[in-house]
Amino acid sequence: MGLQFNEQQMTECKRLVARYPEGKQKSALLPVLHLAQESFDGWLSTETMDYVASLLSIEPIEVYEVASFYSMYNLKPVGKFVFEVCQTGPCMISGSDNIITYIQQQLSIKPGETTEDGIFTLKLVECLGACGYAPMMQVGKIYKEHLTKEKVDTIIAEYRSQAAAKN
Amino acid sequence: MGVKLLLDKAHVPGIRTYDVYRREGGYRSVEKALKEMNPESIVEEVKKSGLRGRGGAGFPAGMKWSFIAKPEGVPRHLVCNADESEPGTFKDRYLMEFLPHLLLEGLIVSSYALGSNDTYIYIRGEYAWITDILEEAIKEAHANGWLGKNILGTGFDCNIHVQRGAGAYICGEETALIESLEGNRGNPRIKPPFPAIQGLWQRPTVVNNVETLAAIGPIINMGGDEYAKIGVGRSTGTKLISACGNINKPGVYEIDMTISVEDFIYSDEFCGGIANGKKLKACIPGGSSVPILPANLLLKTAKGETRYMNYESLSDGGFATGSMMGSGGFIVLDEDQCIVKNTYTLARFYRHESCGQCSPCREGTGWMEKILQKIETGKGSMSDIDLLWDIQRKIEGNTICPLGDAAAWPVAAAIRHFRDEFEWHINNPELSQTSNFGLQHYADPIHVPA
Repeated sequence: MGLQFNEQQMTECKRLVARYPEGKQKSALLPVLHLAQESFDGWLSTETMDYVASLLSIEPIEVYEVASFYSMYNLKPVGKFVFEVCQTGPCMISGSDNIITYIQQQLSIKPGETTEDGIFTLKLVECLGACGYAPMMQVGKIYKEHLTKEKVDTIIAEYRSQAAAKN
Repeated sequence: MGVKLLLDKAHVPGIRTYDVYRREGGYRSVEKALKEMNPESIVEEVKKSGLRGRGGAGFPAGMKWSFIAKPEGVPRHLVCNADESEPGTFKDRYLMEFLPHLLLEGLIVSSYALGSNDTYIYIRGEYAWITDILEEAIKEAHANGWLGKNILGTGFDCNIHVQRGAGAYICGEETALIESLEGNRGNPRIKPPFPAIQGLWQRPTVVNNVETLAAIGPIINMGGDEYAKIGVGRSTGTKLISACGNINKPGVYEIDMTISVEDFIYSDEFCGGIANGKKLKACIPGGSSVPILPANLLLKTAKGETRYMNYESLSDGGFATGSMMGSGGFIVLDEDQCIVKNTYTLARFYRHESCGQCSPCREGTGWMEKILQKIETGKGSMSDIDLLWDIQRKIEGNTICPLGDAAAWPVAAAIRHFRDEFEWHINNPELSQTSNFGLQHYADPIHVPA
């Protein structure tokens, strides 16, 4: 057997499944996929999805079709930090285009790409519900709002040093 | 200053915690409902209040509750729709982030009224930190006897569970939400059967928006009749508006639906006017899917009457000259904004969010996006405008769920009110890449309050 949740992750997985009635464990699929993505390098490999299927006693195809439907699941490897920048109407009229261009320049990558050092991935996303605090991006669980070029510089520097500290 | 029922305590330090919330009078409605009322009388109060669904459709909440089937021995469920994804809308986020116990209070009373022992909050996946706030509040409510078994010794059991979505606008549609809650792709179901008959796990289910459920506590406390006195006509109570775009004070505001659109935009209590001294060009008053209105039709109806921030007034004139209250996502565009580009980003949004189940929506949204991109980048031709009109007309009303309509309306309204701006883009392929059409559109000078 290849990858597996550690004890703590398994406890959390069981807590998630227990929220639904007996026999309705498939309902825990979305939360368990979030847990799996967080636990296994920020993306869902086929191996990971097959493992989740076995945990919930469902067919692998039931996991694949769900994982490919929702935009938050990454189906290929990503950098340590994923910049998900909103580009929908309200952010656009508040200047998200300039922020997106600036991030691309600073990181020398295009949307969908990961920096060579594996630290950053840039993703363009649709409305994240922060329209009053635009422009904005999500990094992990956190919303970075009211973005300016200076703020982007600080954020990039902050995550660079976090990544360096981990290595 | 209007009446505040939801956000009146939002600025009390520590209101997010149980102790402060309770000290400020929180959970009184649960005591009243569980000890002094029965489920039927709660439904009656909600009916009397005139409360309309705050997610966008505006359907009377009490009536929706009264449809729930009660077959013997089959569990029923209340599901809270916290999937807030309509561009321009961020009010539920504010409620949950700062007043999580207000939502729980409404959920417990509503669960009692509907007979739901296991209630689910389905929250959009991106609101991960709010999920933590809600989980913490649920723990506190359990510890203080408001959740769990035999609440207040009444014999009523209730648990509330939070499930995160994973990035899909369509899951705000109630049957797609139920599919997602069951661990499936968010494909809306064909109705009937309606969720009130066969919803979550084929059991009778009511799905209500966060703001709708948060209003239940105040309604029970003050009584449905008193609640109905606030507001005007069929727009009773208070409504949260999330204001964004080119205004001085973006944010979440609670209004009592008697304020005019002009006052809402220009008064310092609310939006504080257009940012950077610019002029108002247009506004999408109820979330990205409702029709965009040019400034003149926004502030006054076609009959020349003042337009107000309520369900009836915002839709005065139908789609020809009016719009909708929708979710309360109020997006303001100043004179520098390009209608073609704005419409293009919204079309791209709907193409991205279409679940792909119905061909008019799956094919139509992508087609509209491509044509709008063509016009926006200076490669459009005049016939594209009629083609866009034709496509949107063939999507509207021809899909299982309202996403098709939501994708069609913004395109239709943009062409209806700003056709000359589209034509200008097509006639000026180079100039349109470096400058905007601005306010030339208006035959009448735009009224700007001093």
